[in-house]
Amino acid sequence: MSTFSSYRSFPDATTSALAVVLVALPFVLPSVTLASELVVFAIGALSCTFLLGLVGLLSFGQGLFFGVGAYGAALILIHTSAGSLVTILAAAAMAAAAAAIVGFLSVRRRGIYFVMLTLAFAQMGYFAMLAMKDITGGENGLTGLPRPPVFAGLGALTHSHSVYAFLAAICFLAFVLTHRIATSPFGSVLRAIRENEVRADALGYDVRWFKIMALAFGGFLAGLAGAMHTIFLGLAPPNTIEPEMSERLVIMAIIGGTGSPIGALIGAGFYVLLADFLSSLWPRWLMIIAFLMIAIVLFLPNGLWGSVELLIARWRSGRVRIAPPGAVDG
Amino acid sequence: MDISRRTALLGGASLLASPMIARAQANKVDVVGVYSLSGTFANVGDLLNKGTVMAFEHYKTAAGKQINYTLLDDQGDAGRAVRRVQEAMGQGVRHVVGCTNSAIALAVAKEVQARGGIYIHMAGADEATGSQCNKASFRWPGASYTAIRATLEPFIQANPNAKRWYSITGQYVFGESLLTNARAVIQEKGLTNLGNSYHSLGEREYSGYITAAMAANPDVLAVLNFGNQTVDVVRQAVSFGLKRNVKIVVPWCTGLDQYQAWGSDIVDGVYFGVNYWHGVDGPGNRVLSEVVRAKTNGATNYLQACGWAVAQMFVEGANKAGSLDISDITKAMEGLTYEGPTGTETVRAEDHQVIKNYYLMRGKARSAMRDADDFAEILQATKAFLSPDQAGCKMG
Amino acid sequence: MQGQVVLFQILNGVGIGMIYFLLSVGLTMIFGLMRFVNFAHGTLYLVGAYTAFSVSLLTGSMWWALAFGPLAAAGVALISERLILRHTYDMPHEAQILVTFALALIFQESIVLIFDPLAKNVPVPSLLSGIVFIGPFVYPAYRLAVVCAAAVIAVLLWFVLERTRFGAALRAGSESTEMVSLLGINVQQVFMVAFLVGGALAGFAGTLSAPLRGVEPFMGSEALGVAFVVVVVGGIGSYTGALLGGLLIGIVQSVASSLWPEGARLMIYGAMALVLLVRPAGLMGRS
Repeated sequence: MSTFSSYRSFPDATTSALAVVLVALPFVLPSVTLASELVVFAIGALSCTFLLGLVGLLSFGQGLFFGVGAYGAALILIHTSAGSLVTILAAAAMAAAAAAIVGFLSVRRRGIYFVMLTLAFAQMGYFAMLAMKDITGGENGLTGLPRPPVFAGLGALTHSHSVYAFLAAICFLAFVLTHRIATSPFGSVLRAIRENEVRADALGYDVRWFKIMALAFGGFLAGLAGAMHTIFLGLAPPNTIEPEMSERLVIMAIIGGTGSPIGALIGAGFYVLLADFLSSLWPRWLMIIAFLMIAIVLFLPNGLWGSVELLIARWRSGRVRIAPPGAVDG
Repeated sequence: MDISRRTALLGGASLLASPMIARAQANKVDVVGVYSLSGTFANVGDLLNKGTVMAFEHYKTAAGKQINYTLLDDQGDAGRAVRRVQEAMGQGVRHVVGCTNSAIALAVAKEVQARGGIYIHMAGADEATGSQCNKASFRWPGASYTAIRATLEPFIQANPNAKRWYSITGQYVFGESLLTNARAVIQEKGLTNLGNSYHSLGEREYSGYITAAMAANPDVLAVLNFGNQTVDVVRQAVSFGLKRNVKIVVPWCTGLDQYQAWGSDIVDGVYFGVNYWHGVDGPGNRVLSEVVRAKTNGATNYLQACGWAVAQMFVEGANKAGSLDISDITKAMEGLTYEGPTGTETVRAEDHQVIKNYYLMRGKARSAMRDADDFAEILQATKAFLSPDQAGCKMG
Repeated sequence: MQGQVVLFQILNGVGIGMIYFLLSVGLTMIFGLMRFVNFAHGTLYLVGAYTAFSVSLLTGSMWWALAFGPLAAAGVALISERLILRHTYDMPHEAQILVTFALALIFQESIVLIFDPLAKNVPVPSLLSGIVFIGPFVYPAYRLAVVCAAAVIAVLLWFVLERTRFGAALRAGSESTEMVSLLGINVQQVFMVAFLVGGALAGFAGTLSAPLRGVEPFMGSEALGVAFVVVVVGGIGSYTGALLGGLLIGIVQSVASSLWPEGARLMIYGAMALVLLVRPAGLMGRS
């Protein structure tokens, strides 16, 4: 299992590369709406990449926070006249709060128990959404949502291109923020926890608090993606909070590789493009994704992006950079 | 190979990702269908799409232009459906048909309206021609009010001794609307509502609910849900021997495909409400059944009929308008009367709901079946619809 | 009358619970023995169910299905283990989760490919298609037969675990694999047998359930969810835990459908979360 080992190179070449990619995306892809979808899920995958790569926490519940962000944004759009930016940030904050609560409960356990807890909460969240159908629209979801200007009446989002520009900007900022956190002292502690939790604890760090904060940030990212999804599409459908969404985000993170935030972008891109391209040729495209997942976990533990990084490193210096072994188990 | 795959291969091979919509030529019209070929609704989506494909292959042209149909697979995801519709309409498509479930239909309807297109679908949610009715979309099947009125009222009339009712209801929006309507009818007729058991979406185990129902000692059990859940509840209810002294009524049933899933032993003696039945004779159904039998060597089921119906509505509307311009077609479709799969069908102008027959059926004993598909007989055909006002439709 | 209904709901819950036990016992033993997390466990249930469908379609008889279902599931377990799973034993749990999860996806899509996505019916064997009377209550004969079959298996399993050398090795291995191998027992072999038998049991559960619930391609992930709940509640690695957990969940589900019907599903996952938080070892497990 690969980890955030290569983040140090992030602010230099990769940040600018990310900016270039985001600018070029709508021109390279066949449609700008596809680019928007990619960008939304890149953030969603990033929430899993962050948690698994930096902290070693495998969460099968990020879909719950994606859903909280999606429905939160929808409700804000329906009941207030807030602009799109405020809506997204507020919804992401709601998701972060939810993640903090779930995290507070879940970090009492580690390893497989932790994973199962996230699964259980994801299921409960889905059933709660269905039960509160007067608010959430139940199996129909919330549709016909407005798409207000970005902030204080400026930045109208009437065209697909302006929507993309808005989402891409948020995506970029989210990536930079994640990098900042990963390189901060806070991030170092998280990495220490991933590598040897007992030792980090012995060194005096409140391991549980750090994990909860990390989960809250992961929830923030997932909720941000969910809210972006709502603004992009003008609707909050029930599948945003289904257990399948949690699975999808994990799949994207793994495919791209959890060694660097860019892996989230690559993984999301791969999944979205493959789904779009293959589904018209062969409806069983999920099988190909599944095979790829197995191949990556067994043979390419750094994921697609991580393997590319390894190749670049090898080519550059003629020696292999080894990613540290995976998360501590429970 | 059907049209959609062919187009997809030709187009998709030249560029990354989505099936390309061929540039609209002067003598062609691009129509897209929004169905799920993967994901949890794949079973439904595939058959619906086939119905649409068969219809377009049969009609070939609309308002004189050749129909160029492309499938947009939304993979059961309403978000993806909306995005692909956005994409297609960004490439100039204006005519959209189909949906695999109500969430997708409601979402796509908003998107099509916002972009000035026309959308014909088969969602079951009341809101589609009720609180969320819109000028751009048209809905073919009857929804929960229709299902309940056309099933329960004739049933009650023919079974005056069935006074005590119990219901098992799916606890979701559609189930609730079935229940609300059912309770209204039960109250109106002065019958006894013994109680109701809710179950959640995705439930598989109903033995507890059935036991609770049996303990209430009802004359009738009403099954108010949809899809696989209907199949599971009825199957398990019959396995508990409920049929011995309780009548089972299933107002929302998709007919043939569910009968086949149950088998005649379970279907025998149970009352069903269906939007379509292949055994109904009529010019529209004859055409449809011929095509289906030629293609599949079997009887037409509800999903194929639905897929056909939305395509037919588009063609009929375009032909009547003599043009593919959206406002022309919309005007032509409002009040359009044609021979559809259930006989003479009319599109109501105020809410774009198709006024058509809904059938009450009763399952036959195996010995009474004239052929392998003759599971049930039609007891009554009714056109029962809320007025647009009552449905809450305010089309601006 | 109300009390009688609840009593019967409890009995009904026992019936449901026995299937859950069959479904989950393999999962719990495998995890207890090899600390191996198998997200593809639901697949074995799926394979058992679809084998029942195919066999009953081909031969018109469910009895053959009862033989082939578990065999097919064990076969799938064997192939998966040989080809893919054995590479993951030394990997962290996350890797095992992801690989088995992907495997489950592959099988689900394969089922859609081979059959079609529509749910299918499996007829109950005509011998058992009637009802029996338990006091004033009616119970389907087939369900009763399933309960009896599961009970027989439960007893057999108990016998194997408590009275045979293999069972002793299995139990000891759950506590400490090093000790067991130091004692000269081939832990790998013990595990393989346990894995196959556990898989066969899940397949058997699927075969038995097929006439009750029909078969459809997504029943594997639904079964997996239930299995995890049972395993967590009962205690990882414990046979009696799987039994008690299965019965408890079945009873909770059945009683809830009288007392709080819409919350039945929610309660099951809530119970799982509660156990994980308060006593992660579950009812019978040791942490």
